[in-house]
Amino acid sequence: MNQRKSITIALAGNANVGKSVVFNQLTGLDQIIGNWPGKTVERAEGRLFFEGYTINVIDLPGIYSLSTFSIEEIVTRDYIATERPDAIINIVDASALERNLYLTIQLLELQTPMILALNQIDFASKRGIEIDFEKLSEILEIPIVPTIAITGIGTKELLSKLIGVIEGKIAIPKTKIRYGKEIEKHLEKLENIVKNKLKQLSKRYPSRWIALKLLERDEEIYHTVLESMNGKQVITLTNEIIDQIEKVHGEPSPIVIASERYSIANLIAKEVTRVISPPRIAFRDRLSAVTADRILGYPILAIVMLSMFALIFVVGDFLVSILDNFFQEILTPYVEYLLSSSTSPIITGIIIAGISGLGAGIAIALPYIVPFYIILALLEDSGYLPRAAFLMDKLMHKIGLHGKAFIPMLLGYGCNVPACIGCRIMETDRERFLAAFVTVLIPCAAVTVIILGLVGRYLGLLTAIALYLFNLILIFLLGRLAYRALPGEPIGLIMEMPPYRSPSITVVAKKTWARTKDFIYVAFPFIIIGSIFLETLMMTGIIWSLVEFMAPVITDWLGLPILTGIPLIFGILRKELTLILLSELSGSTDFAQILTPIQMIVFALVTMIYIPCISTIAALIKEFGWKRAFGVSIFDIILALVIGGIAYRILTFATL
Amino acid sequence: MSLDPDLVELLELIRVSESQDEPFKLNQHPVKLGISRNKANELLETAIRSRLVKFNKNIFRLTEQGRQEVQKHREEYIHDKYIHKNNFLNRLSKIFKGNIKDWRNHWRREHGFDENSLKEFYINIRNLENRIEEATPLEDLKQEEKAKLAFIIGGRRLVKRLTEMGLTPGTEITVLRSAPFLGPIEISLRGFSLALGRGVASKVFVTRFNGEN
Repeated sequence: MNQRKSITIALAGNANVGKSVVFNQLTGLDQIIGNWPGKTVERAEGRLFFEGYTINVIDLPGIYSLSTFSIEEIVTRDYIATERPDAIINIVDASALERNLYLTIQLLELQTPMILALNQIDFASKRGIEIDFEKLSEILEIPIVPTIAITGIGTKELLSKLIGVIEGKIAIPKTKIRYGKEIEKHLEKLENIVKNKLKQLSKRYPSRWIALKLLERDEEIYHTVLESMNGKQVITLTNEIIDQIEKVHGEPSPIVIASERYSIANLIAKEVTRVISPPRIAFRDRLSAVTADRILGYPILAIVMLSMFALIFVVGDFLVSILDNFFQEILTPYVEYLLSSSTSPIITGIIIAGISGLGAGIAIALPYIVPFYIILALLEDSGYLPRAAFLMDKLMHKIGLHGKAFIPMLLGYGCNVPACIGCRIMETDRERFLAAFVTVLIPCAAVTVIILGLVGRYLGLLTAIALYLFNLILIFLLGRLAYRALPGEPIGLIMEMPPYRSPSITVVAKKTWARTKDFIYVAFPFIIIGSIFLETLMMTGIIWSLVEFMAPVITDWLGLPILTGIPLIFGILRKELTLILLSELSGSTDFAQILTPIQMIVFALVTMIYIPCISTIAALIKEFGWKRAFGVSIFDIILALVIGGIAYRILTFATL
Repeated sequence: MSLDPDLVELLELIRVSESQDEPFKLNQHPVKLGISRNKANELLETAIRSRLVKFNKNIFRLTEQGRQEVQKHREEYIHDKYIHKNNFLNRLSKIFKGNIKDWRNHWRREHGFDENSLKEFYINIRNLENRIEEATPLEDLKQEEKAKLAFIIGGRRLVKRLTEMGLTPGTEITVLRSAPFLGPIEISLRGFSLALGRGVASKVFVTRFNGEN
């Protein structure tokens, strides 16, 4: 029999307060951490063992409130209100206590056992803020643990307090946040009505909470109440009370409640906060002013982006030549030598194909992808991304999006899959789809492998940059078109600007590793199986009938050598396969022998646009359903063929 | 027919006194209006004659008609400041279409307000602590300028979202910077920074700090 008791706890808090870091500290899982709001778009789950308990930890998305205006808020509220975890750890950013307490108050109102992790106390004290957490604990009547999640300080204490709460050793009274007298009077009246009239519903949710949500005109609760017995009567009574509140306060009832809640948060924060040194213009404030500056910000953004790609190019190129050498000259011949005496040539062929596929994956793909992940992690962790989003907001509006969409687009340069999922930071379904539509056209690291490894290496960095620029223009034009075509109003930008932090080496390393690992897991099976499959096709000769079938499009329309048809098909699995397979088919990594400069450009253009790889299509299906996912894929294929064909003709004509 | 702007301003002042439960005192207001005492008396007489104001037990009060005039004035002010300020075409269409008569319908049709948003919008502009002219869209503030939030107009979702991010009435706001070409604005409030797109910032109405308050 299992002696361990199993409990479930949930982490809740504002966006960007270090929830993911706490989660990683608790469970050791590699949840992606970054200094931009809204990474945890789906709840992550992990498990740990502590003092005889199996603790399931749920990392909920970062939210500012428990209304139902965004997916994140709905996920969090549904989870806490209906699935009822055994306890909540509310993670609070000590340097922005007031705003964080707004959510804390709402969590308390849901009456789930709760403890509070006062996170980033080191950062707060750097800004001259000191918080009397014992006093805060007295006021809120819940245990509070100061933590520095990045270094793991406070994690143990958090767990033992948590166990204390769950075992009932630390008693948590039903904290009653008191509103102003006027509101409290109405609230109590409505609470009694709810208690008496909505017996069923009051069992599911605290009746005071239902009353509050009714006063806030919460749509979901409103409909739930309307559907229950006596619901209509309660709504009529609610409307009467709301009318009275609005008459007295002269403001809409939801705003009155939010204001009251904020003034409670303000009072508590003032009571427990001591500003030791007056906030002075520190280095990070100046940095934040310069990087978001209306003039200087743009050259800085351009420099950051360009040096990112240049660095990836230089480092990647260097690593490619070393690793490729190893696989081509040393490993493959060695394996061939080992196998030649013992097995049949067919099996040898297959094994060699598998190895050279793996080799190509390691030698051609990873050298470009890993540096990108490192730089992305640095940008994320420092807090630069929201500044970039701030600067790009106006341009994004031209394609019906706002600045936040720049973040998934930038992620897209790494891999389209997390970028597609990252589109959830957009507020409405329309914006999410629009953002995903343009993100999918962004050349991911795999396409970068082709652009840099083919065009960059043989035709120079400038041509490669020209391709990127062409891509940006294309995205802009298509985005504008899609924005016109999709019905609905664009939404404005509302985004927290987190203060700069110096990036932590451990976090950056962990993050790069987690992403690279994901990439290897997803991509390498495709690469190896694809190579073996291809080898089989070659040996059986099936491949030639396939190629013949495609010949009109490949040779006549795109002007490419007939061989390239095969890699283009397999590129659907993983785009970097196209280049790898091309080298295998032709038996050479010197692409200058296979392709003319024009063909290189056409080939790169087609692979850049033609279809999101299979993992991206899967992500699209998951986010937007079959119809829209296939719609986007087919549109991209046609677009790539059209552009490829036109480019071939223009370039041939221009070089005549 | 539209009223004398000075008269409308006088009505505004009476409305503000009413919503603060203070009796309207005539002798303070000529100064605020920048007109002579006699002119003020004249205006009041006109107002009483046109049944916009009634004089009862030594107190000036707005009639229902007077209140409607104030509301119409406030709607017009917000309408001009809110969306149509930077839009030449809209101004042109205003000349052709003439003045808006049915405001409710206009907000509903042209600006996509639903019933609830409309209701909250009217509650917001009914009881102001200052004349509507004191309220400026956040986007008009300069860098480093400080202001207090007055009210937010727009759909319920937007208003609620902003309110929950801490933009409640009376909140102190400092403009940190703005992006060029009418890009977003970064503000600081309650100890953190927030970036608002230009469209959003034009819907947030604030009262400037004049140093003393």
